[in-house]
Amino acid sequence: MASLMHYASLHSENPAYSFSEASTIPHSEASAGPRQHAFYPYTDNGGSTLGITGETFAILAGDTRSTSGYNINTRYEPKVFRIGDDDSSPIVLSVVGFAADGKALKERLDTIVKMYKYQHGKPMSVKACAQRLSTILYQKRFFPYYVHAILGGLDEEGKGALYSYDPVGSYEREQCRAAGAAASLIMPFLDNQVNFKNQYVPGSGEGLSLKEKPREPLPLDAVVGIVKDAFTSATERHIEVGDGLQMILITKDGIKEMFTPLKRD
Amino acid sequence: MPGFDFSNHTRNAALHARGVPLPKATSTGTTIVGCIYNNGVVIAADTRATSGPIVADKNCEKLHYISPNIWCAGAGTAADTEFTTALISSNLELHSLSTNRQPRVVTVMTMLKQHLFRYQGHIGAYLVVAGVDPTGVGLFTVHAHGSTDKLPYVTMGSGSLAAMAVFESTWKKDCTRDEAVKFCSEAILAGIFNDLGSGSNVDVCVIDKDKPTQLMRNYIKPNERSKKERNYKFQKGTTAVLDQKIITREEIGRYVTVHEIAGSDSDSGSLVVVEKMDVDDQP
Amino acid sequence: MGPDMATAMLGEDGIHIDMNHLKKGEVNLGTSIMAINFKDGVILGADSRTTTGAYIANRVTDKLTQVHDTIWCCRSGSAADTQAVADIVSYHLGLYGVMNGQDGPTTQTAAALFQELCYENKDQLSAGMIIAGYDKRHGGSVYSIPLGGSLHKQSYAIGGSGSTYIYGYCDANWKEHMTEEEGIKFVKGALGEAIKWDGSSGGVIRMVVLTNRGHERHLYLPDNGYTGPGRARPATT
Repeated sequence: MASLMHYASLHSENPAYSFSEASTIPHSEASAGPRQHAFYPYTDNGGSTLGITGETFAILAGDTRSTSGYNINTRYEPKVFRIGDDDSSPIVLSVVGFAADGKALKERLDTIVKMYKYQHGKPMSVKACAQRLSTILYQKRFFPYYVHAILGGLDEEGKGALYSYDPVGSYEREQCRAAGAAASLIMPFLDNQVNFKNQYVPGSGEGLSLKEKPREPLPLDAVVGIVKDAFTSATERHIEVGDGLQMILITKDGIKEMFTPLKRD
Repeated sequence: MPGFDFSNHTRNAALHARGVPLPKATSTGTTIVGCIYNNGVVIAADTRATSGPIVADKNCEKLHYISPNIWCAGAGTAADTEFTTALISSNLELHSLSTNRQPRVVTVMTMLKQHLFRYQGHIGAYLVVAGVDPTGVGLFTVHAHGSTDKLPYVTMGSGSLAAMAVFESTWKKDCTRDEAVKFCSEAILAGIFNDLGSGSNVDVCVIDKDKPTQLMRNYIKPNERSKKERNYKFQKGTTAVLDQKIITREEIGRYVTVHEIAGSDSDSGSLVVVEKMDVDDQP
Repeated sequence: MGPDMATAMLGEDGIHIDMNHLKKGEVNLGTSIMAINFKDGVILGADSRTTTGAYIANRVTDKLTQVHDTIWCCRSGSAADTQAVADIVSYHLGLYGVMNGQDGPTTQTAAALFQELCYENKDQLSAGMIIAGYDKRHGGSVYSIPLGGSLHKQSYAIGGSGSTYIYGYCDANWKEHMTEEEGIKFVKGALGEAIKWDGSSGGVIRMVVLTNRGHERHLYLPDNGYTGPGRARPATT
């Protein structure tokens, strides 16, 4: 019934364009009518984050610029944090979106991971931490943490682990993920360079019968190169990305932090 | 009919009412400045054009020609600044031909303000008008609604606050050409680094009473891209070819005139560069 | 969102509401303008602040605009609108002066022209103007044209968002037939208060004195508490 009515309405009043379902939020400030006034507790602080896993490592990176509108709040505000203080099970969290929520979320997860170790006498696994983070986010389902989080570490087998989240706790383990303002610029680059999407083995066939280039784990130096190039390129084309690049590398030997300057315009 | 074409207005208004957003125009964020000196005037601009948060052009030109001794710096909607200055430049040349007189800066300013006032701010051109004429040196700002100001140093665009901070703290009156260039370029740099809507390079234009106008394109380039870490050259055959159609010279010759360009060997691969694009060189 | 010198009104909650704000979705803007009659002619006065939102687009604006030899106006409201109106009036008076020779237009004629434009285009304009002039027939005269386009001949007129703060001052200190010195003191005192209390007025105080000797400009800077430098150049006709 509902679908029939929908079909009818397409013919009667709405044009059948693909954009006929576009937002119907009041569009013009100048348009007449009462203006609503409400406190909006969120701001977008821009920036981007990115995580890639290898066979024996995970890397999380983020630019260090914090913005509001056309202004720069600061050129150094880290978006990637170490969680807990146990080097035998290193966990790293990156948050991008609303910085205040990001910081609150990081503090909360950090406390929980530390408490876990005190109470259980063993460090929290990345898998458990990932599930716990999802719960924290979903608890605020109707007043969400306005962030896109990425959690990184090493799994039980010592392989690189990466989990990415939406603001209300839906999550997934992935090989690589870009988040934040320039996610739409970086993600396709990652698909191509990390997962070799749209790359075929030359001469292996004709047209669609070509063999896809097989995915192979990338060595660390290649991944670091990809991360740096992703951020220098995003800095070129996105106004909210720049100033500095903070990278945290997680291996069986522990955590290593790196910093590279980015363009400041 | 001269002027704008409104034939799509009713359709667009209907679409807009259904929630279809307006198309994005390039460049609202910009820093443009101007400063007079003892024998002329200097204007300067950054070179970033944006579309929302995306950089649409890393090295665009915001300094527009009006007449040999009158130039404009434009902020606001890129298309509006370009077409408005081109229109006024054209009309000014006709005016100067029919009156047999050198064009004046006040004339340009008046033509701009009357044009922009008529369109009640719908033409989003924010301009700095500068030049020299037989009456002396002129420097004005013209806002999209048609108001004008006359000042010894001016700034406009989203970076105007950062740029004005530089002028208000360092400007001195009766300065020399070199000092004025310094003030203007420093003001633009403040915009480039502190305003997200502005970026890339500094363009400067010096208009002197006794010398030909100097347009110093990319006077300062403080934001050159660093060398990439990795090589992104793909092996030949990496991309799947789903379909191909070869059009021979004879076939295409039926529709267009084909010219041989010197040095082009159709198969040898020695390409003739018609226009070099400013893309990143591969390592 | 053009820069403006606002004509503010008081809302029921006592907060400034600006006509431009209602029209163009812009925040409150400000100005303080006035003109007075004195023994030998008229004095016009204004602050010099032009704002775009919270930003001061021009801190040394000249809001006293000449439309004929000894007919001037004070502009408040949208800078674009008031400049356009003044330019049109200036054109008509210029033509009138050339066509009719010798005496030139009267202040009353100029004020009528201003009113015509402001009234007939009231739905499109946000212009609050004060017209003051000196002519041989009437001597000095002051007219005020508020937002709707009505015309009021007054012995003195105040306008702009800053004017709300100086009704008391003007009422208490106004005298008919003041000397030039007294007149300047009155205008300066009133505008000084307006600038002091109104956040959207500020900068320097500009004045124009119109008498049978022509026009004379005055400038008073905030650097020295609006005491000088005073008269800017000798009278011209």
